[in-house]
Amino acid sequence: MDIIESRTWIEWVITIAKFAFCFVPVLYILLLIPMERRGAGFMQDRQGPNRSYIKIPYFGKIRLLGYVQNFCDGTKLFFKEMFAPAGVNKFLYYVAPAIPFAIVFLSPCVIPWFGPMVFDWGGKAVRISGSIIDSEVGVLLLFGLSSLSAYGAVLAGWASKSKYSFLGALRTSSMTVSYEVCLGLSMMGILLLAGSFNLTDIVSWQEHHVWGIVAQPVAFFCFLIACIAETGRAPFDVAEGEPELVAGYHTEYGAMQFGLFYMGEYSHICINSFLVATLFLGGYSVPFITTETMQAHMGGSLAILCGVLAFLVLAFLHMIYRYSRKLKATNLTHRFEVLREYSLYKICAWVAVAVLIALGVCSWFFYNPENFVVNGFAVGSFATAVGTALIHLLVLVVKSVMFCWVWIWVRWTLPRFRYDHVMHLGWKIILNIALINLVVTAVVAKLVGGN
Amino acid sequence: MLALIYFIILGVIAIGSAFCVLLSRHPLYGALSLVLSMLSLAGIYGLLASPFIGVVQVMVYAGAIMMLLTFVIMVLNGARDSKTPMFDRVSLFVVPAVLVLTGLVGFVLVRSPIAFDSTALRGSVKLTSETLFNVAQTGPGYFILFEVLGLLLLSSMAAAVLLAKKRLGSVDSDNAEDK
Repeated sequence: MDIIESRTWIEWVITIAKFAFCFVPVLYILLLIPMERRGAGFMQDRQGPNRSYIKIPYFGKIRLLGYVQNFCDGTKLFFKEMFAPAGVNKFLYYVAPAIPFAIVFLSPCVIPWFGPMVFDWGGKAVRISGSIIDSEVGVLLLFGLSSLSAYGAVLAGWASKSKYSFLGALRTSSMTVSYEVCLGLSMMGILLLAGSFNLTDIVSWQEHHVWGIVAQPVAFFCFLIACIAETGRAPFDVAEGEPELVAGYHTEYGAMQFGLFYMGEYSHICINSFLVATLFLGGYSVPFITTETMQAHMGGSLAILCGVLAFLVLAFLHMIYRYSRKLKATNLTHRFEVLREYSLYKICAWVAVAVLIALGVCSWFFYNPENFVVNGFAVGSFATAVGTALIHLLVLVVKSVMFCWVWIWVRWTLPRFRYDHVMHLGWKIILNIALINLVVTAVVAKLVGGN
Repeated sequence: MLALIYFIILGVIAIGSAFCVLLSRHPLYGALSLVLSMLSLAGIYGLLASPFIGVVQVMVYAGAIMMLLTFVIMVLNGARDSKTPMFDRVSLFVVPAVLVLTGLVGFVLVRSPIAFDSTALRGSVKLTSETLFNVAQTGPGYFILFEVLGLLLLSSMAAAVLLAKKRLGSVDSDNAEDK
């Protein structure tokens, strides 16, 4: 087959392996739910979930800082009975929750997870883009998909044949239409500066000029607000509206059907935080260092990466030691049990620190791959490309996790809006600011002589 | 070959869902079929090497306009399962018109030579913007049409707002509101 022989086997392997990134939003759910619960606990001055545990020999009950609660929730949702109230529209009722969740798997396809991998393979320069689909329409595809995912909520509300669900669905559709406009317009400024819809191009523009948040601070805030509104969480949770609509469009849903909505919401947060990080925070690019510099000193970069990770683990250790000290001072009955649990974390963390430091030192001294320059491009070895991709991926994940925290922070800090306030904010404030921002950006870009 | 298979799949979905729009009893099902039809049309645009048009189709039509349409359907009579009759007096004009149009288009398609180069870029972002915003004097001048269309849409929006305002300011609606 021509199509198979057109590329080397390593390209095919990486191209197919990139499809694994489709599962990133689903994996983020596992991260986000404990983060949300611990975050809520932190803001409301309580502990969050801390009762579910796995029992292992010697160390006793391992609770993984509330993480085990996830598995309990998942198990509960999976084994609950699927139930449809009488009078629902059966087909749409069962199809609707799948729509947002199916789109979750499609949306990550245009986000660049790492810079384009350029490496030398058997005397041939191979270039592999960082996104699953390297399309010139890039970010527009993402918007198209995310606007489709609102159909799930709308149809669910309609199919449930209940007044509360129905009102929730109406509100969802109006929210989606209004905030999609704000989202698109506030993003246009940075697209104008970068001169491309392709997210890889936008990130490389930011890498070589300045981050989007510096170039477009107003647009950043408009975009962030519109993003939060689009996920439909508090303070913009008019579609669910617990005080007024019971649970909005998923009032009549239970078990895993509700679970799909729930997971769809968290994955939407993940996608949106990746989008904000990519558009305004330089995406996968490492702050203050260009990819070329990083690839020229690959061993040093990997060493610094290991150092940063070791520092994070040390910070975790510091937290654990502080908890232990506090716990020892109390006279709680279960304190020895908890201290034994903590000793497992300590052992794991110290091993991780040792391994990371050893890896860092090794890569600093013994790993110096050479780079070649072919047609003006720096072409390194395969190992350099993989190392760069790994660093890029980690940087992107750190940035997006930070924005995920912003979502949780906003949710548990701000009071919720009334429906008309949401519409007022969307149409009369954010839309106008975004429009003015776009015009000003266009004029300035023309005068300065950009694109 | 692969493109032909994709085209046949997408074409069958597009035409089938277009029929569903005509045949479905409930307006919401009609709207949903229209969404499906538009999505498969977007896929066909993508096959024609114009991803920009395809994505705009998804974003504007399937995403925004059909969302508004479902909103309107749900506001008007979505709560009831209204079963409108499939054929009424208007169909006397609509059905022949559709048949004649299909015949015409089919005739033209059969007569025209089919020479298709699937690699040529037709609707890329660059090509679209260069064609649309070519301000050179010798250019096609589409940008003037673009601006005029913008004005037309603005005026229609203003008219819609005026009509709505008239209804809002009437005696009935004043009594209905608690002010």
